[in-house]
Amino acid sequence: MSYAYLFKYIIIGDTGVGKSCLLLQFTDKRFQPVHDLTIGVEFGARMITIDGKQIKLQIWDTAGQESFRSITRSYYRGAAGALLVYDITRRDTFTHLTTWLEDARQHSNSNMVIMLIGNKTDLESRRDVKKEEGEAFAREHGLIFMETSAKTAANVEEAFINTAKEIYEKIQEGVFDINNEANGIKIGPQHSPSSPHAPSGSLGQQAGGGCC
Amino acid sequence: MDLPRKPFWKKPTKSPGSIKPVYGAQHPPMSDPSSAVISSSSSPKKDKTRMRRNSFSEFANKTEDAWDAGDDDICVLSDPDIYQPDIYSLTLQPDITAPDIYRVLTITDSLTYSFDDYSLDTQSDITEDLSITSLTLQPDITPDITSANLFKGLPRVPHGSDRDLKQPSNLLGCRPSSPTLLGGPGIGVRQTPAPFRHIPAYKRLLDKDLDREVAKLEKFKSLLEAPSAARAFSGTWYLSSCINPVYKFPTLMLQGYLPANVDRRKGTLERKRAEYFGFIQQYYDTRHSDIHQDTYRQIHIDIPRMNPLISLFQQEVVQEIFERILYIWAIRHPASGYVQGINDLVTPFFVVFLSEVVDENVNVENFDVTQLPEETVRNIEGDSYWCTSKLLDGIQDNYTFAQPGIQLKVNALSKLVKRINAPLHKHLDKNSVEYLQFAFRWMNNLLMREIPLRCTIRLWDTYQSEPEGFAMFHLYVCAALLLEFSRDIQKEKDFQGIMLLLQNLPTAHWGNEEVSQLLAQAYQLKYMFADAPNHLHPKAGKK
Repeated sequence: MSYAYLFKYIIIGDTGVGKSCLLLQFTDKRFQPVHDLTIGVEFGARMITIDGKQIKLQIWDTAGQESFRSITRSYYRGAAGALLVYDITRRDTFTHLTTWLEDARQHSNSNMVIMLIGNKTDLESRRDVKKEEGEAFAREHGLIFMETSAKTAANVEEAFINTAKEIYEKIQEGVFDINNEANGIKIGPQHSPSSPHAPSGSLGQQAGGGCC
Repeated sequence: MDLPRKPFWKKPTKSPGSIKPVYGAQHPPMSDPSSAVISSSSSPKKDKTRMRRNSFSEFANKTEDAWDAGDDDICVLSDPDIYQPDIYSLTLQPDITAPDIYRVLTITDSLTYSFDDYSLDTQSDITEDLSITSLTLQPDITPDITSANLFKGLPRVPHGSDRDLKQPSNLLGCRPSSPTLLGGPGIGVRQTPAPFRHIPAYKRLLDKDLDREVAKLEKFKSLLEAPSAARAFSGTWYLSSCINPVYKFPTLMLQGYLPANVDRRKGTLERKRAEYFGFIQQYYDTRHSDIHQDTYRQIHIDIPRMNPLISLFQQEVVQEIFERILYIWAIRHPASGYVQGINDLVTPFFVVFLSEVVDENVNVENFDVTQLPEETVRNIEGDSYWCTSKLLDGIQDNYTFAQPGIQLKVNALSKLVKRINAPLHKHLDKNSVEYLQFAFRWMNNLLMREIPLRCTIRLWDTYQSEPEGFAMFHLYVCAALLLEFSRDIQKEKDFQGIMLLLQNLPTAHWGNEEVSQLLAQAYQLKYMFADAPNHLHPKAGKK
């Protein structure tokens, strides 16, 4: 399918905060109450529309365990957006945000848009981190913030789409170098008539090398 | 004692490329012409000529007329190089029962087990068993059972329709009542479960004349009913089961845990189990201490998330068993500690051991473990711990800092595929698919997430019989898996399509046949490349 832009995302955060469930809800519109552990990275994709333009999101869902950090780090590079997720019912996942953020900033390109997500709002009775705390953290570090529930799907679409909107705006502002795929952004094939042989939907770096 | 020490297929063969067949690896013929080497003749006569001066050839000579000519199950058995080691594994199981028979007859390349690691005890024991076997394996024994007894409750299949059947498992995932459980790649992989087909438990007999197989089973039944024969047979044939819950002993043995000597077994098991529960007594309370609480917390979070759709793993008692096993292992192996995925590696052992004590008509995945006597559950826990521990000993660099073992193997996989299937490699490369993106999990979880559990159990059965099976042979299996889907992968024309396919391989329907083909391909690759790393360099090859 043709698209105007391709954005690459990465989802990060502690073990068990609901990263995979968020992705599953976003890509498949379903919730699996218990989700087996993510090993290394897993891939998901979906098309969205912003400003009347088709945008393809390719998302890397990463394992939360520290042991996999050396593997998952390499996925920061080449991501235009990151969803940094914590669990509002587990304070430790919130206190670890600083480490995650440092890691992300260190290994990603400086323009990467980071969305902070407090997940599991369906478990309000067990809430351990106030919404205001999340907001304050986001403000302090220049992140966008949302609370979501992968279970009820509340704000899940919005979280992914708002991140895309922010990236899109940055493109309009000329902040992103869209010709450099290392930024996690790629122009769709129909925008590159100069390469008629490029197969539709080809995302390969080599294949896309002739674009623009 | 004059035992064959080398794995059989490493031996130089007279005709280059004629890999001695691994049982189950020979048919149906591989579609890939290059794998035709596997189908080297294995007629009884040829095998007979290969026999060498050992006591087994006498045994085989005496018994070969017990079987129909052209029966390649037995042909493989009659290869002394392959079969002899297993003769030494005879165990005392006088209480073997009829249902065990058709289980044990699902012969697989377990028969290739090498017993290098196990001290064999007295020659007299062995000879005695051999003579019993040879005496009882006579064709004139009157079968006294019917196929109905052997396959009780299983539907019969008309000849010629076998091909639609998939390998059974009365163990897991293959029951009509549980279409999706363990029926696909790891749960957690985003995929819709494949439509389920009921698979009768004797699919192993496919592509053959069923009646002949039934007659064979009848012979076995009568043999096994003789008290002395039971002794001679049980251990040997236990080894051969792969999809059925009868391999506690071989598993234990192959994991280097159980001595081959019957007399020492009970004591060893008791001692090791006691040792494990000693660890628990000594260390389990440390789980809330400062140094270990992170480890424990991680395990504690992970265990309830394992196999979320299978009720067995949602039982508190089972989850506690897994927590203890993993915690004790983790703190005793600080170089790696607990890494997600290791939890998956306990599962096959646990399920196999559990299956052994559960009535075969009961679906293990729904079994309520609290129904078992406490002692039995403790034994399963102890045995699972030691077997997992033994497995992990061989692959610890997969889980140490930065997981160098996995990085190396994924690199090797890439090189291997580049060499053996250049178009596929190019296709992946062109679409910016990196091997690490999909093969990391293949290595980290030893394919537990990529194929159904019954197939993993089957696969590991072979790994256990291979030197460095879980470390090195696994690499060739991964390459074979990739080749298996080469065409599908190349049909996908973009990164997204390839990645989604690779992390959701359509293997939900897989059974023994598919795993056997995979193993055949893997053996072939190993045969070509394992001892000749230069073959991986294009210059050394034809291309």
